Amino acid sequence: MNKEETLLDHMEREGMSRRTFLKYCASLASLMALPPTAAAAMAEALGKARRPSVIWLPFQECTGCTESLTRSHTPSVEGMIFDMISLDYQETLMAAAGHQAEEALHNAMKDNYGKYVLIVDGSVATGLDGAYSCIAGRSNLDLLKEAAQGAAAIVALGSCAAFGGIPKANPNPTGAVAVSDIIKDKPIVNISGCPPIPVVITGVLAHYLTFGTLPELDGLGRPKAFYGETIHDRCYRRPFYDQGKFAKTFDDEGARKGWCLFELGCKGPVTYNACATTKWNDSTSFPIESGHGCIGCSEPDFWDAGGFYKALSTPANPLKYVGAAAAVGVAAGAAVSVANRASKNAAKAAHEKTQLTDLEK
Amino acid sequence: MRSINEIPIHVLSPDQMLTGQAEAVLSEIADLLARLLETGEEGSIDLRSLPLSPADRDWLDGKLGRGEVEIALEAGGRSTLYETAYAGVWKVTHRDTEERVVSEFIEVSHVPAIVKPAGADIENAHERLQSDLKQITQEGNER
Repeated sequence: MNKEETLLDHMEREGMSRRTFLKYCASLASLMALPPTAAAAMAEALGKARRPSVIWLPFQECTGCTESLTRSHTPSVEGMIFDMISLDYQETLMAAAGHQAEEALHNAMKDNYGKYVLIVDGSVATGLDGAYSCIAGRSNLDLLKEAAQGAAAIVALGSCAAFGGIPKANPNPTGAVAVSDIIKDKPIVNISGCPPIPVVITGVLAHYLTFGTLPELDGLGRPKAFYGETIHDRCYRRPFYDQGKFAKTFDDEGARKGWCLFELGCKGPVTYNACATTKWNDSTSFPIESGHGCIGCSEPDFWDAGGFYKALSTPANPLKYVGAAAAVGVAAGAAVSVANRASKNAAKAAHEKTQLTDLEK
Repeated sequence: MRSINEIPIHVLSPDQMLTGQAEAVLSEIADLLARLLETGEEGSIDLRSLPLSPADRDWLDGKLGRGEVEIALEAGGRSTLYETAYAGVWKVTHRDTEERVVSEFIEVSHVPAIVKPAGADIENAHERLQSDLKQITQEGNER
């Protein structure tokens, strides 16, 4: 597909029918939390879009973000990302290596100066002048500053690029920071998660192509369409929370009945992400459906948040708390009351087989 | 190793997983039907965006029932669309080429939007048919 061709031209040439495209847009609109009726308008705009150049730089990362995207359901919705964009540099996926690869990067940056989308996964090491993480003899810090100059927008993919992630966890030996700690003069979208949900990146790119702008962001720079609500608010076990029905251990009656995992350390109430609706593994399920609480991987410093199996304090008034959470974002996590310590202790005492402390190691 | 049957898993009846959320969906469908009748405006509910348990979904499907029309759409995977026992209320399930469900909607309309062919496609079909006819006539003349 050449760069002048529109997305619809390309799809028609590939033998894709209009209905297939409409169906794709309906699914995408659903994922982007747009009203279902927006699909037709979206199909029209997206069909006319020309694909942008994308440069993808990997820094202090584990390639989990790339895995998340590439192992998702090709040739379905997320697979279309490769039709929507011209991915000009991606070390893990590209065939070129060494000087050829570096040349591809510099050509893409020069030819599309001011227009390309820069995707970064991994945090940026700042210790020892960035020497902890280098590509082709240059530090990540240096590369980021150079590539950011000509970027129209930057996508910080994954919790490491968005917030520092695991490299930044205590004691942060490499001086890891987020992309937004270094670059201050470009629009940055944080797509957090460890790894992030593949359709979120497709959604952000589709939004950029459909509307020509970046989607609306929350206080932490994340697209509201996907991070606008907590896992808790969209959880199918939420009604049990409202009824006060909680699993007290991983193997009690409540756990078997699929009750709320709040008291087993679920971070759903303070975690903003779309897992409960988009789900994982080709839309099979998400962690809570497997009987495990949310670990809050799309929130800053989740690794140092005090233990995956430690219960959040129970809010004094759940409904009021939910309203506040929707209004002020993640800060509401700090606002939960510490009132219900007694029930937490009772929950701990109810353990006979597996102790919370066993799981916290 | 112990046999798998010895693992003490209790199977629950689906009723125990009902949350009551599906009832709210039913009343939204009723509102959308009223709107369709009054203004002709079509409506749609994205089932994937709602926190429904599997039991809730079954309950909803059961309550809506099946009507007379069923449509299969082969477009980038098989989609199924059927009219429920309530005329004008459609259940739409889109699947990808590997049979995975990618989106699910309740559509309240005369006919689901995706079923109607686009104007450009009809134009294209007309042109193709004309040229095919021409060829058939030519071949007939040559014989």
